[in-house]
Amino acid sequence: MDSEFVYLKPPSLSDLLKHLEPWGEQSKVLAGGTDLLVLLRRHSLSPAYVVDLKGIEELQRLEEVEGGDVFLGAGITVNEAAHSGLVQKRYKAVADAANTLASYQLRNRATVVGNICNASPGADLAGPLLVFDAKVQIVSARGKREVLLQDFFAGVKKTILRPQELVYGLILPAVAAGERSLYLKQARIKGHDLGIVGVAARLDSRKKFHLAMSSVAPTPVRLTRLETLLNDSPWSPELPEQAAEAVREEIRPISDVRASAAYRSHMAGVLVKRAIRYLMEEG
Amino acid sequence: MCVEHEHKVAETYLDSGLPRVRVSCTVNGESVSRWIDPTMSLLHFLRHELNLLGTKEGCGEGECGACTIILGGKAVNSCLVLAQEAAGSRILTVEGLGQGGRLSVLQEEFIKEDALQCGFCTPGMLMSARALLDRNPEPEEEDIKEAIAGNLCRCTGYYPIIKAIRTASEREREASQR
Repeated sequence: MDSEFVYLKPPSLSDLLKHLEPWGEQSKVLAGGTDLLVLLRRHSLSPAYVVDLKGIEELQRLEEVEGGDVFLGAGITVNEAAHSGLVQKRYKAVADAANTLASYQLRNRATVVGNICNASPGADLAGPLLVFDAKVQIVSARGKREVLLQDFFAGVKKTILRPQELVYGLILPAVAAGERSLYLKQARIKGHDLGIVGVAARLDSRKKFHLAMSSVAPTPVRLTRLETLLNDSPWSPELPEQAAEAVREEIRPISDVRASAAYRSHMAGVLVKRAIRYLMEEG
Repeated sequence: MCVEHEHKVAETYLDSGLPRVRVSCTVNGESVSRWIDPTMSLLHFLRHELNLLGTKEGCGEGECGACTIILGGKAVNSCLVLAQEAAGSRILTVEGLGQGGRLSVLQEEFIKEDALQCGFCTPGMLMSARALLDRNPEPEEEDIKEAIAGNLCRCTGYYPIIKAIRTASEREREASQR
């Protein structure tokens, strides 16, 4: 690689944050590297420091914490999340999305938090994490803060993270027994491909729908209008079709190399219909 | 390594010019240690520093899988790993599949099933397949497809490859039961 950077692998969180405090602007944090190394190779980025977080043990945790919430550290790979019994059992949509992200090899390196921090409009894991009201834990040498994932995205490939800050991990709020969720992704091929449209849907224990989509707006989005419509309507066999029509009103996708806006809009409706039908049948 | 491949790699590798760093790891069971450019990828470390030319560079961006190796027991794209990240790790490349001058069962089955033509994707395919059989000795066809979804082949076609991996898994299971 011909970018010039110094590689650092701090052994502790405080060492990493101490480095970012003065050098954050000139540094990029390296987790799985599956996005960062591509950007370095293309000269899209030229940081003076690449700071590897894989030496920090506390970031490698995926476990239940107090109140039944689940903590997913910044070092957890997409495959670790996909294969975790906790994730499969409680947050199925997250496991579904983890299993469709890129290829098996990439999932062995790519991290869940990295997928969020890269903030692609098509981030597979964003929709599922949004429907579970995931929270982002952010740390810096000056302290900690926590934001809702939906407030974390600021635009195409942009987040509210400051150069001195690190995403420590995600909190997935506790779910009740009997919840259902899924992630549906439309791509050009079944194998390694970016999504044209992704739909995450969850039916909670109070029979309320939660929906989010990727690749239909500058950031992954929560479908709040559709949720209101669904949660205010009595269940009927027509509800999935009504949801399909409503979502096409709510989103404004763009045309790009992968699909036209019209196709995205059509498929958004189809996937929403399938998701609602699945949740109604299972629920 | 065959004679015509013993020369230094011709493809260009751009050195960053930064002070060299020492990287030590275990490759195919052998401890190695080199002073290298700190920005070097693991792929370039294998090819340029160790002259292990089996691992191929295709896209260099994690799309094609030609550079797949097994790092710490897991299949990864070596183009997207810095050599420094692999310090202290155990690495298996296609050169380490055979034992004592004999091809592995997987390699034999690739040959028997005509699972290669130009051969460029083959080392990556073999390493994805090896990692699959290590974690799941009895894969279904869907498991095999998932495991090699990140390995592009543009000439052989995937079906002979899938078949080779399946017959290799059967042979390995028979051998382990004996």
